[in-house]
Amino acid sequence: MRSLRRGSRVYAVAASTAMREKLAYPGNFAGSMFTYALFVFIFSRVWAGAYSGTTEIAGYTMRMSVWYFIVAEVPSFGFGRFFWTLSRDMKSGQVAYLLVRPYDFIRYNFAEKFGGSLVEACVILAEGLAVGLMLVGPPPATASAMAAMTRPLFLAASLLMAGTLNYLLQMTIAMTAFWFEENEAFFWIFQKFSLVVGTLMPIEFLPRAAARIAVWTPFPYLSYAPARIAVAFSFSDALSLLARQALWIAVALWLARIVFASGSRRLSVNGG
Amino acid sequence: MIGRKRLSPTMRPLGRIRAYARFLAAAFAVNVKSTLEYRVNFLLQFFGMMLNNAAFAAFWVVLIARTGNVGGYGFSDVMLVWAFVSTSFGLAHIVFGNVRQLGRIIMEGGLDVYLLQPKDVWINALASKTIVSAWGDFAYGFIVLAMTTGADPERWALFVALVIPGALIFAATFAAAESLAFFIGNSSAISSALTEFMLSFSLYPEGIYGSGMRWMLYTIVPSGFVAFMPLRIFKALDWRLAPVLFLIAVAYVWLSYALFNMGLRRYESGNRMDARV
Amino acid sequence: MAAIVANRLTKTFTARVRPSGRLSAIRSLVRPELREVEAVKGVSFEVEEGELVAFLGPNGAGKSTTIKMLMGILQPSGGGASVLGLDPSRERVELSRYVGAVFGQKSQLWFHLPPSDSFRLLGAVYEIDEDDRKWREAELIERFGLAPYWDVPVRKLSLGERIRCEIAASLLPAPLVLFLDEPTIGLDVVAKREIRQLLAEAARVDDTTIFLTSHDMGDIEKVCKRAIIIHHGEVVVDESMKDLRHRALSLKHVGVRYASPVNLDLPTLSPVKRTPTAASYEVDTRKHSLAEVVRALASRGELEDITIEDEPLESVIAAIYSAGSGAEAHAFGSGDGSLERLDEASSDA
Repeated sequence: MRSLRRGSRVYAVAASTAMREKLAYPGNFAGSMFTYALFVFIFSRVWAGAYSGTTEIAGYTMRMSVWYFIVAEVPSFGFGRFFWTLSRDMKSGQVAYLLVRPYDFIRYNFAEKFGGSLVEACVILAEGLAVGLMLVGPPPATASAMAAMTRPLFLAASLLMAGTLNYLLQMTIAMTAFWFEENEAFFWIFQKFSLVVGTLMPIEFLPRAAARIAVWTPFPYLSYAPARIAVAFSFSDALSLLARQALWIAVALWLARIVFASGSRRLSVNGG
Repeated sequence: MIGRKRLSPTMRPLGRIRAYARFLAAAFAVNVKSTLEYRVNFLLQFFGMMLNNAAFAAFWVVLIARTGNVGGYGFSDVMLVWAFVSTSFGLAHIVFGNVRQLGRIIMEGGLDVYLLQPKDVWINALASKTIVSAWGDFAYGFIVLAMTTGADPERWALFVALVIPGALIFAATFAAAESLAFFIGNSSAISSALTEFMLSFSLYPEGIYGSGMRWMLYTIVPSGFVAFMPLRIFKALDWRLAPVLFLIAVAYVWLSYALFNMGLRRYESGNRMDARV
Repeated sequence: MAAIVANRLTKTFTARVRPSGRLSAIRSLVRPELREVEAVKGVSFEVEEGELVAFLGPNGAGKSTTIKMLMGILQPSGGGASVLGLDPSRERVELSRYVGAVFGQKSQLWFHLPPSDSFRLLGAVYEIDEDDRKWREAELIERFGLAPYWDVPVRKLSLGERIRCEIAASLLPAPLVLFLDEPTIGLDVVAKREIRQLLAEAARVDDTTIFLTSHDMGDIEKVCKRAIIIHHGEVVVDESMKDLRHRALSLKHVGVRYASPVNLDLPTLSPVKRTPTAASYEVDTRKHSLAEVVRALASRGELEDITIEDEPLESVIAAIYSAGSGAEAHAFGSGDGSLERLDEASSDA
């Protein structure tokens, strides 16, 4: 399968180029690191205010809530902004050139955008650990030493899957540019939903009915899954969360391909 | 041939003001028309923003249902703060649509067009675009207002009187951050961080911040002037403080304008030439 | 009175040197490595009122930088400029009322709206009376043939139509001086010709001084009466179109084809290209008599065909560009050793 190997090389090169590009401008991280730290700070204040009369909300202590937020924001900071570059590429007409290149549009962009974002996500995660230790002390302990050792692996896997799902959904939204000139509103809605459903607070905080609906949407798997693994770890829970993330990735990939197929058909009919 | 004398503008102060008023009105009309060119998109965006803001309201409903109040704010307080921030933020982006593109415009040499026209570069550049989705933000505040305080005309008037300085403070602050592009090249990280700060701080109860933080919220990230102070004035229904807020807004605008014009002297029309070598 | 005066204008940019390694990238955040780039090095010229001048030069020669200094967009690092008696760097706003500009890339028209709306806004920008504006607009619509797309959003116009609107818009306030930066770039032949005619007409009807940068020789030959050529930030040629064309006329390309092979080398002239039965020669008429060359060629054998062509203006200018420094280009202008250099230039092209 020589052609397949050669084909994959394109994606590997794109990813590593994007990573190196990110590293070439470390100053670009400064902004989001700063914002992230401030968000974590604000939320530690919000939780301090919210926990002023109680020690536990929906099974979460204040320390759990703060750590939850720290981890849940990592995907939004690391992987939450694909849309803007994708959408800009789509609108600038660059997509017409990308379309004629001999590789998979969705996969190529994934390699490029995800590769770059991975660096940023790692930086943010490291920062989150430091800020969290400073603000509220170490994350909640696990039940066993074995769990303490495997938790980081599950967390890493879950974060990677959250990033992948984030990319696919944002790609799908960005591709609405085939039909709509200003499609930012779709992204905002998506962004805010993912914010409310699992990023700003655990979905357990939601009213029971809302939480029950929420688990059937992709949103909890963008941030709730890794954050839950970080603050309330159990093997069975973690496995089930990862499985559901994988399922949603499959669904989102299928959706992105459909949108791409009909969008690019439209582009070739109507012209850029 | 056209008589050149007739084309040359008036230099009398009153005439200057009238000329600027005409210019701003024309720019606004073009903005609105530009928005209406995309009627479907406009509506889409409008309802998109409604939904977006409603999602945030949902967050607060959930949280305050669990805890009673947060930092001294009940649900209606949080919603009113949201109303102020949303409407003034929207207004700033409707009238000064380029306010968050200014840095990019500076970097890419886009000020050329405005430098070639006999109008103030700052105002001309800022007012030469509108953000369609901003109408959604703008309207949202009024919807919240209608839901929380009903149809009391005095409250509505006070609300309007408070969102205008709010919009000016938003625009002045964002423009100032974007103007840093004159000095440091790519300022997008700083200005987007500032945007997020200002919005995020504004949307949470004032009481959760310590005194050191509050000092910042009434200076460099003036969330206090677009959210907390308007809320206090509004709840007290105290008209005397509205002009104070106006004066504060004028000060912010003046500072931002001065910073921009200081930077304009260093403008290089996209010739920064820091391409990869 | 001179409409435009550039007096030893210089402009130096500070460029940031992009770091190559990862460590130096971090270091450059703290202390960026700077390098000075002299984009314009003492450019001087004068343009009379009502003149049509082409400002030429290869990419990066300093054309745009010079034009931007003349309009007050950029502050000169040295020297001075005066446009309509005003100092662009200090009296930009005042000057902007009398100066129009067309930048191929930077539009003053609103992309999503028809030209009519942009014109109305420009009316307010330039503080033109509503009645005056309507009158002037009607005139420009007529002259530029804008009626068919007056109410069509600019995004739906072709590039040629857009540039036409763009130029009309810049003429709305009846400027005394019109600067154009690459106005015909990317246009097709027909659209280019139309734009040129409109510019020539603007100069004639409105008595506007036109200062135009371009790569396109056609623009220059058809529209302008004078050419200023800059290279590496310096003026290398400043002469009338007629003189410039004269340089071209002094070089003839003579092509011959014979029925059977002949000796193609003339005593003083060798062909630049040859086959056994055909050849082409470059004849500098300042050195050789064209009549003698033709006579000599005719005497060599039975001529099947002979062609005599002028050197295209394009090659003349290409030769000036490729001549390294300004000094050499001047030497070329005086006529010495021009043939060799022209050979190189045309074989490059």
